Amino acid sequence: MPIHEKNLIRPENLKTHENLTIDGVNVSGHWSTFIAPRVITDYNEKIEAEISALPGGEHINRCWQCGSCTNSCTVNAVNPDFNPRYWIYLIRMGMESELLRDKDIIWQCVSCNKCTYACPRDVFPEGVMKATAHWLELQGHTPKSKSTIFDEEFTEQVVATGKIEEGRIIRNFFTKTRQPLFQEWLIEMAMRVARHMPVRLGFLMGLSTVIRPRTRGWSKARDAITDYVNEQEVKQRQALGLRENEGKTGRQHEN
Amino acid sequence: MTNKPVLVVGGGPAGLAAAHALASVGQQTVLVEKEGRLGGAPILSGYAKLVPSGEWARDAIGAMVGRVENNPLVNVQLSASVAAFSGTPGAFRATLSNGQSVEAGAAVLCTGFTHFDSVNKPEWGFGTYPDVVTTAQVEQMISSGRGVRCPSDGRKPERVAILLCVGSRDRQIGREWCSKICCTVSSNIAMEIREELPDTHVYIYYMDIRTFGLYETKYYWRSQEEFKVKYIKSRIAEVTSDGKRLIIKGEDTLVKRPITIPFDMVVHAIGMDPNVDNKSLAATFGIGLEPHGFIGKGSSYGNLGETSRPGIFVAGAATGPETIDDSIAQAKAAAMAAFALVHQQPVQTAAA
Repeated sequence: MPIHEKNLIRPENLKTHENLTIDGVNVSGHWSTFIAPRVITDYNEKIEAEISALPGGEHINRCWQCGSCTNSCTVNAVNPDFNPRYWIYLIRMGMESELLRDKDIIWQCVSCNKCTYACPRDVFPEGVMKATAHWLELQGHTPKSKSTIFDEEFTEQVVATGKIEEGRIIRNFFTKTRQPLFQEWLIEMAMRVARHMPVRLGFLMGLSTVIRPRTRGWSKARDAITDYVNEQEVKQRQALGLRENEGKTGRQHEN
Repeated sequence: MTNKPVLVVGGGPAGLAAAHALASVGQQTVLVEKEGRLGGAPILSGYAKLVPSGEWARDAIGAMVGRVENNPLVNVQLSASVAAFSGTPGAFRATLSNGQSVEAGAAVLCTGFTHFDSVNKPEWGFGTYPDVVTTAQVEQMISSGRGVRCPSDGRKPERVAILLCVGSRDRQIGREWCSKICCTVSSNIAMEIREELPDTHVYIYYMDIRTFGLYETKYYWRSQEEFKVKYIKSRIAEVTSDGKRLIIKGEDTLVKRPITIPFDMVVHAIGMDPNVDNKSLAATFGIGLEPHGFIGKGSSYGNLGETSRPGIFVAGAATGPETIDDSIAQAKAAAMAAFALVHQQPVQTAAA
């Protein structure tokens, strides 16, 4: 007889033992494969509250699982495993292990917001996707991607000085991602730029690596932005019950 | 014009409404109630706040009781039932169990329903585990002011499961009907629990949610949006215990995985059965029952509230699961028909 619902058996639940004897019966090897139970034995009621506390997740408790978000989803059309309706349910019911199985695709939301307009109950699924990705990151379930690290470096410079300095961004990004600064393509690019660059511009670039240029009167704006960002971060970390620096890679603002 | 009294059987919301409606147009009425006090299920079973008004049952239905008890045109017979009934429209004679004989021009049956007895679904633990209770019991916990507590040890439940369709939509136990109000009542109870115990999580396990009409906003949506009540599409297979807490078993249909979740309290959203007396009522009054065992109704289009026997009318949950508001409306319609008959002004039917 064929195995019905075979799709419900997950590879990680198949247990095969090299050498196992139970009550004198040898149950080793492929022919004695066990399947771990699929039973859900508890709800984690914190998750819904935590994701509700992050920007975008506020209305998650409205969802009644109609599936309009998934049906309208741009990414779902390409990747059927990308299912906002399902994740919203997992979050609401606190099925953490089930949610974490999809941690590497939740961030793929492209923010087209079709779901936002399709949702009959204003759950704001696009916001929930962002909040969930943020939650996964804050909880330390997903490492920061290189592009996130690049964005952070970029943002930090703008916040600190009101300007960006390309050379510094590349240097810091490469240092933070532990990539060698002297890469063939980079050297080639720098040489070609240098060959065609007006002397004055080259001088200014060199100078700005030594003396950091700032937007005039920036310090007030910097302090306001820094205060707001810190305030939000503290609030969100508190909502998740995280300590000051738990699960977080250090983010240092220069001066 | 015979102008004999109208016999109203049953002192719940429908019976009280019929008696009051008849008295308000100067019609003598005899109200027969088998229990020792008026009010019907909302009073006798100690309901808390009613759907959809939000008024306490003792205030809302209590006021209906008061205006009937104090009305000189209504002759209230408590702890009495109709033992025998004979005659023709305009000239009926009823003999009550207390020996009294009543001349009646017409009769309105407002005999209501009986709460489903959860012991008929033993797999859901009622009668086995003290912390498995019914919606009626939770109503009593709230209306008595004691609050929602686990009967076993009086603790505040941290997690409550409400199981819908207990005694409804279940062919296994011969109850195919939807009891109509349990979804809404359960949403209401869930909100009341969350209001009293904000740290308590409430889960509702459903097959379908039928908070019909305007109840959608006030109960289904509000319970989710304001009170964070959780709804899970799953019909629970059984309720057991690990010795400390109750364990519910079922399938979470959206995740396609079995669940065995611990709970402190399980609430059965019990349905509305036909009144246990319906068979004897049918025999006494010579009327027919519909296939589920409720009192059969005639056509609704010409004359609301007719039974299979001319001169005997019916209203409210006697005819099938019904809301209090609609029971009252039907009772007034039946009272109108009875009044017309007593005054020999037959209401024209649509067919005529």
